[in-house]
Amino acid sequence: MVLNLTQVIGRRILQLIPVLVGVTLINFLLLNLLPGGTAVAILGASATSQEVTVLTKELGLNRPVMVRYWDWLWAAVHGNLGHSLLTQQSVASLLGQRVPVTAELLLLAFLIAFVLSIPLAVLSAWRPRGVVDRISNLLAMVGLSTPNFIVALVLVLVLAIHLRVLPSTGFQPLSAGLWPNVQTLIMPAVAMSLVLFATYLQVLRGDMVDQLAKEDYVVAVRARGVSTWRLLVQHVLRNSLFGIITVVGVNIGTLIGGTVIVESMFSIPGVGQLLVSSIFSRDAPVVEGVVVMMAIVVVMVNLVTDLLYAVLDPRVRYGATG
Amino acid sequence: MALQASDAVVPGLGLPSLRSRLRGLDLWVPAAVLAAMAVACFLVPLFGHVPGPNAGVLSQTRLPPLSRGHLLGTDTLGNDLLSRCLYGGQVSIEVGLGSVALGLMAGGVLGILAGYKGAIYDSSIMRLLDMILAFPPLVLALAVASYLGPNEQDVIFAIAFFTTPATARLARAQTLKLREREFIVAAELAGHKAWYILRRHVVPNVAPSLLTFGLTLVAVAMIIEAALDFLGLGIRPPEPSWGSMIASGQSYLSTSPWIVFVPTGFLFVTVTSLNLLGNALRTRWARS
Amino acid sequence: MGSLVSASGDRIVSAKRKAVVRDREEAVKRDREGAVEPASEPGAPLLSVEDLRVELVSGLSVVRGVSLRLDAGRTLGIVGESGSGKSVTARAIMGLLPRDTWRVGGSVRLRGRELVGLAPRPLRRVWGNDVAMVFQDPMRSFDPTMRVGDQIVEAMRSHLDIDRRAARARAIHLLRMVRVPAAEDYVRLYPHQLSGGMRQRAMIAIALSCSPGLLIADEVTTALDVTTQAHVMQLLKDLQSELGMALVLITHDIRLASAYTDEVVVMYAGRIVERAPTAALLDRPRMPYTRALLDSVPRMGMAPHEPLSVIGGRPADPTALPPGCPFHPRCSFVAEVCRESEPASQELEPDHLAACWFPL
Repeated sequence: MVLNLTQVIGRRILQLIPVLVGVTLINFLLLNLLPGGTAVAILGASATSQEVTVLTKELGLNRPVMVRYWDWLWAAVHGNLGHSLLTQQSVASLLGQRVPVTAELLLLAFLIAFVLSIPLAVLSAWRPRGVVDRISNLLAMVGLSTPNFIVALVLVLVLAIHLRVLPSTGFQPLSAGLWPNVQTLIMPAVAMSLVLFATYLQVLRGDMVDQLAKEDYVVAVRARGVSTWRLLVQHVLRNSLFGIITVVGVNIGTLIGGTVIVESMFSIPGVGQLLVSSIFSRDAPVVEGVVVMMAIVVVMVNLVTDLLYAVLDPRVRYGATG
Repeated sequence: MALQASDAVVPGLGLPSLRSRLRGLDLWVPAAVLAAMAVACFLVPLFGHVPGPNAGVLSQTRLPPLSRGHLLGTDTLGNDLLSRCLYGGQVSIEVGLGSVALGLMAGGVLGILAGYKGAIYDSSIMRLLDMILAFPPLVLALAVASYLGPNEQDVIFAIAFFTTPATARLARAQTLKLREREFIVAAELAGHKAWYILRRHVVPNVAPSLLTFGLTLVAVAMIIEAALDFLGLGIRPPEPSWGSMIASGQSYLSTSPWIVFVPTGFLFVTVTSLNLLGNALRTRWARS
Repeated sequence: MGSLVSASGDRIVSAKRKAVVRDREEAVKRDREGAVEPASEPGAPLLSVEDLRVELVSGLSVVRGVSLRLDAGRTLGIVGESGSGKSVTARAIMGLLPRDTWRVGGSVRLRGRELVGLAPRPLRRVWGNDVAMVFQDPMRSFDPTMRVGDQIVEAMRSHLDIDRRAARARAIHLLRMVRVPAAEDYVRLYPHQLSGGMRQRAMIAIALSCSPGLLIADEVTTALDVTTQAHVMQLLKDLQSELGMALVLITHDIRLASAYTDEVVVMYAGRIVERAPTAALLDRPRMPYTRALLDSVPRMGMAPHEPLSVIGGRPADPTALPPGCPFHPRCSFVAEVCRESEPASQELEPDHLAACWFPL
């Protein structure tokens, strides 16, 4: 079937809508159907049943679930995600304050992982089982096995406590200057990026070595006298980068999840920290809002990476004519 | 914590050549380490002379490793770190295995069904599971665990929300690949019932890669559990768990780093061994 | 990201090119000063293969002693069924077989220069430059994510000291030479956007880009329909005479080989079983296998519904060669001695060799 690019994009966007609705529904059901219910969640396990009943009536929680969901969805579509039980601030504006901070952190972590993994992967594929390959493999193994909070602790121990080069907590926005901003974000970003770095490294290296071994064009290009280095960088790497776009999409959930702990540890006023604090303070509307937003971001990022793949891969972009 | 693209590998046909494949250091060393860890965590507290995990004395707080009576030192309350790590290991292992076992069963069934039956089963099941997968694993577990309560069973249930769709996706992919193979088509043409084909042909072929994937999932599940505990939303003190031990040791990171790094070591060794074992199995299956 | 990568790639390529040019100058100096280069002697063959043996590292022999000679400007056909070792021979001649899987013994001399055992770097300079290979499946011979023109340019800049613009112009010129219409437009296309025949031509264009003295065509027409086959073969012959190139044609189709070659070599089970000038081979094949091959091709003038004669049995399996002559299980003239010992190659007439106990 030959579809032009606009049609492909249009189709995917249309398919997005039921997915988004489904995600919000799951989120709502999850957080409102669990035993105990929202009222208990707000009041705490030690609440008396009387208190629970009163609060339930007050918040309209005794209405059928689907009705409540519809109310929520309708409000959400109009930009109203409820209000914080703690501060009365609108959830939407709370999110709006914190999203840019988290976004910057995410971007930084992604860049670190991506930019560092590429040269290491190329050098590893260049000489499989050589020194660089073995070290990379070791690094990847360590990266995949170390939870981000431990990496964060080690970084803090070395860089903040012993060497005193970087602050152990706190956040400075870009408006305070580039260096202060980076100073506060670099350690949390590195802590988050390690797992990603390990994944990208393994996938890239594996794909490149696979291509070198199995793809026919490799033999043909070599037989033209093209140097192995050029073959690696200009052909194999480029082809592998296509594959990794999908991996980036798949792992975005992990990256976002990583913000939860890391922001809490480093006191970065982002979305992850908001989630943790609102869970502790039993601020149900905020928890709902944050969780659903995270899920939606994951869905959107996956859509974007899929489309990116379609746009960049010349086989898809230009279609076959013969 | 991340799922790798290499996690989906077409399995070899059947088990007979299992023995020939189960050789090699890269497989047995991590397996041995894991066995040792399991034995240590479950049997040593039963039969060995290990002080209780909460039997700490305030005069013996923050003793370094290799102190008298405390092989790995004590924490901020004087509790023996070795003992707490072993008991905590029980929790981690139970949560890891439990959530993955649930996920393998539920996800395996769903995925194989979706892959084999196709059409409406496939799209509806997978749509639903894909939507669940849109929630970052830790966030999902956090939300569920915080509402359900900080006890072990509920943490297992919470993490199973993630392991189920992850497994289902792999099971479905494997089943789809298998479906095209001649022997499945032949069996269908021979008039066998779907149940029979599934039981006799599909499941035995999909199971090995699911189990290998399960190993990696256990590692992921253990890290999520540790993260939950670290945040204080999973297993809480005085109940021992690696994550909460690391959290409580934070403030003494520079003065008594062992409080953080002893449980870290346990977690790291376990997770690394799981990953290495998973890799070793995967390369063996891929070779066939 | 694309421009970033190619900018750094450019720097590496230009550095290497300088090294290549430097090495070539040194090599030329060495040759001039004293190393014997038999090719500079009149009458010496362009390509000389002697007792080429190729086996897998596991010990399995795939090519068991192949010798041939090819003069500049001439065409050699290598004919055989699948499993005969013809493609492996071609790759072994070029040195394309990976060292960790294959062992190559014997001698392959191109312009007097020994290629067997040559180190990777000088070998790479031979590829595309002195000898080029064209493969069966053009779709798989291209990087699917790079434009065709860029791949031609890349091949040139790996060997020649030529700048981008000149290379691009030459690429268009090459495409015209292989009769691709609207070459300026085709240069910008991706491989999957070309038809099969065009892709094949583009592959030939790349092969010719550095003006090699020898072109090896491995089953290049097998995947094409008959009409396109004829066009491509004619193109190859025309290019050959224009450029004075030697051509090795590898195919399973003996009719194709006999139509376009000067000399034919028939391979079976890793050895040459017959070798003769094409006319002589067609006129009087000496080895029963060759005769059977010729007979099994449908001919004009056959009566309708006349059954095609086929060679019974299957091609010899290199892992389980029968004792004696490998062809004996399928030979209509088999005798006791054929089952016991393998016949050596005998020169029955000048330039006509056959390996058979009872040549026809």
